[in-house]
Amino acid sequence: MVETVYPQLIGLFAGGLLLTSVLMVWRHSLLASIRLLATQGIILAALVATIGMHEGEAELLVVSGLVLVVKGVALPWVLARQSRATTHMADESPRLNPTAALLAVALLTILSYAVSSRLAGLNASIPAHAAPIGLAMVLVGFLLLVTRRRARSQLVGFLLLDNGIATIAFLTSGGVPLLLELGVSLDVLLVVLILYAFAGRMSNKFGNTDIDQLRELHD
Amino acid sequence: MMGIGAGLLVQLVVALMAVIVAVVVPALWRARLGGPLCVLVSAAGCVTGVLAMSGELGGLVVPLALPVDALQFSPDRLGGLFMVVVSGVGVLVSLYGMGSVRGPGASRTSWAALPVFLVGMQLVSASADTLSFLLAWEVMTLASTVLLLANHSNRATVASATIWYSVMSQLSFFFILAGFAVLAAVSGSTGFAAMATVPPGSWEASVAFVLLILGFAGKAELVPLHVWVPKMLPEAPSHVAAAMSGAMVKIGVYGALVVCVRLLPGGPPWWGVLVMILGGVSALYGILQASVSSNLKVLLAYSTTENMGLAFLGVGASMLLRSYAAVPAADAALLASLLLVVSHAAFKTTLFLGAGAVDHATGEMDLDRLGGLGRRLPLTAATFGVASLGAAALPITSGFVAEWMLLQALIHGSRIEGNVVSVAASVAMPMAVAVVALTAGLALLTFVKGYGIAFLARPRSAAASSAQEVPPAMHVSLVAGALSVVVLGLLPGPLAAVIASCVGPDIVPHVRSVGLAGVELPGIGVLLDPVTFLLLTVLVAVPVMVAVVVSARRHRPRRSALPWGGGGSRARPRMQYTATSYAEPLVRVFDDVLKPSRDVQVTHVGESRYLVERVEVEQRVSDVFESRLYRPVLNVAQRFGVLARQAQNGSIHRYLGYSFIAFLTVLIVVSF
Repeated sequence: MVETVYPQLIGLFAGGLLLTSVLMVWRHSLLASIRLLATQGIILAALVATIGMHEGEAELLVVSGLVLVVKGVALPWVLARQSRATTHMADESPRLNPTAALLAVALLTILSYAVSSRLAGLNASIPAHAAPIGLAMVLVGFLLLVTRRRARSQLVGFLLLDNGIATIAFLTSGGVPLLLELGVSLDVLLVVLILYAFAGRMSNKFGNTDIDQLRELHD
Repeated sequence: MMGIGAGLLVQLVVALMAVIVAVVVPALWRARLGGPLCVLVSAAGCVTGVLAMSGELGGLVVPLALPVDALQFSPDRLGGLFMVVVSGVGVLVSLYGMGSVRGPGASRTSWAALPVFLVGMQLVSASADTLSFLLAWEVMTLASTVLLLANHSNRATVASATIWYSVMSQLSFFFILAGFAVLAAVSGSTGFAAMATVPPGSWEASVAFVLLILGFAGKAELVPLHVWVPKMLPEAPSHVAAAMSGAMVKIGVYGALVVCVRLLPGGPPWWGVLVMILGGVSALYGILQASVSSNLKVLLAYSTTENMGLAFLGVGASMLLRSYAAVPAADAALLASLLLVVSHAAFKTTLFLGAGAVDHATGEMDLDRLGGLGRRLPLTAATFGVASLGAAALPITSGFVAEWMLLQALIHGSRIEGNVVSVAASVAMPMAVAVVALTAGLALLTFVKGYGIAFLARPRSAAASSAQEVPPAMHVSLVAGALSVVVLGLLPGPLAAVIASCVGPDIVPHVRSVGLAGVELPGIGVLLDPVTFLLLTVLVAVPVMVAVVVSARRHRPRRSALPWGGGGSRARPRMQYTATSYAEPLVRVFDDVLKPSRDVQVTHVGESRYLVERVEVEQRVSDVFESRLYRPVLNVAQRFGVLARQAQNGSIHRYLGYSFIAFLTVLIVVSF
């Protein structure tokens, strides 16, 4: 029974990851994006836990806990706390309208499937079949980075990209060593904190965090 | 065998010590310790150069961790000659720097860069393969750039001048690199010995030749790569300007000689014509600009362009004549350019150091504001005068011997035993003679102006009238420089014989020392004996002078007032010739070439149209090559820059978009 449930669980969680990514592109509200990010973090943790239980590796379970804490709780909490503090929670007006953005996401997903099948050396294990989802997440995260105007929304895109990379790592090779995972997670946390401080300074200084206004080049 | 290697090693070690001293020692002792070390570096270079000239082999091989051949520093005789020239200038410059440098020129950086610069120049002439040549070349260029930047904090023009210098020197470096790359690809090795096997008739050799000559011409301040010279040298500290103009440009000539004599001898005739044109145009243009310039250092800088142009003219003539088998004249032309290089090193160093002394005493480089310094700075005036004689190629100086020999070679070049050598040579040689003649005349005018306006007459400004003689430490190198100008001019025979022995091994110009150190070129049958000439002159001149003095004592001197003195016995300083007015006729004659811009402003008294309160005349002579050749190129580059700004507009989204597209492209390309 376990052997039949395992692929279904993997598919479910991978689907959940893709769904949350697509919703992030669709929704313009920053708070909604942050909630989706938290959801995605939890799903990712569940995915890791599933793989860990199936492979029987205790280390992966620890990593899953770490992912849950960092990506599911800590990062969204930091983002949300800062966002609530700022009163003008004006919705993002992206550079791409929602229809076009969803179309782009579809295209990117197709591309990532097309590319992954040709890309070198994917083994035939069950999780590896879901690896294109990770690539699609990376691409969608990049799309968010390019199309969102505000610094904080861009941060969401950056975290989505990071989640995508983590997903690929877990699905193709059962995750990176614990120590490395710890380092990467802390790095991401640090980057987010720094960028948040930066965005805060920006909104104090200019009244908003529209990075389109940052285009003066200096020597 | 060991001598040269040890000499090079000593240079490197002492230079390193000098750098350390410059960095570590406090300001008070920096010049007193760093200066002697720089002198020592140069002295070691002199000794090594003499050893190399005497035909010793050997050197220094520096293996590298990189997968390239080891660096080889083993100067041949020609390299030894240039090492001696460069180091000789280095000794004078270091001595002068010890005594003169104050303020930003005496900073830690400057004193650290000077030994690096000196040793860089010496290593270029010691290199025996491309890699070490280029490495030493870059060391030399970078160190000179650092030295030039010394005054950047108190003069705004230094930065832009340095940019010009850096760009031009990197441009010439690019040419040299490309030229050597072509030769290395054809010969399969970076050593000079292997490169010499490239057949000079092949098209690759021609490409390499043109590239290399252009590159070295840039370092030798030839037109059209000279535009940095009039900007840079006036901004540099005087001893640095002297080192650059006296020594570094010689490295450019050395490079050209390595190409023409060592690597690719026996090329087609058009190579010689090309070099002659390059040299001739530079000589004429340089001396024209020098003759109308009213800034003493700009004048000297342009005159360097002229002298190096003449040296290239000699090299080109020698190549052309050799390709038509007119060997004696070809040898004489080559010898003449080498003599010119040696004598130029002597007199131009002295001139720049003298200009530095004037700057030190008055703080003024504009000739129109100088004057009357002869009485106030007697020793500086005397040495500057001697060096000016050399620069104007007048007898008993080294400059005269060199130009005399060049003219002899050119005159005798177009015919061998009465038969015309070739059409090209019989057209090129008379034209070259005309160029040299015109250049010599203009040079005379230029240095009469340079010396006369600065040192004679009455001071034209308060700074000039209150000038004080410079400290004795600076006199040492001035006097040494002036002495070398005269000695090299009085003993051309031994000098020419020594230089001739350095050109080998393939080419050994036939030259003999005759009489009292006179020089004879048996190949073309000419002879010059300055000492005998001088003795004869003295024999004739002494009775005449005695007669004049005696007759002057008998008759009382008659005083004549100037007609425009307004009845007064003495004219006011403003009534004197200035540098600008002295050169005015010349500017009119060469109006089409120089294209001066004149600006006359007349201020009227009150409402009157007839009464003039003041007339201001401003005349500027800009560099035609800068305004006609470089400005358009720069403008095009600027337009491209504006276009690039559109792609590079500072929007983070655009940059992210670029990387997104690049990422997608890579993914697609990799997977299909």
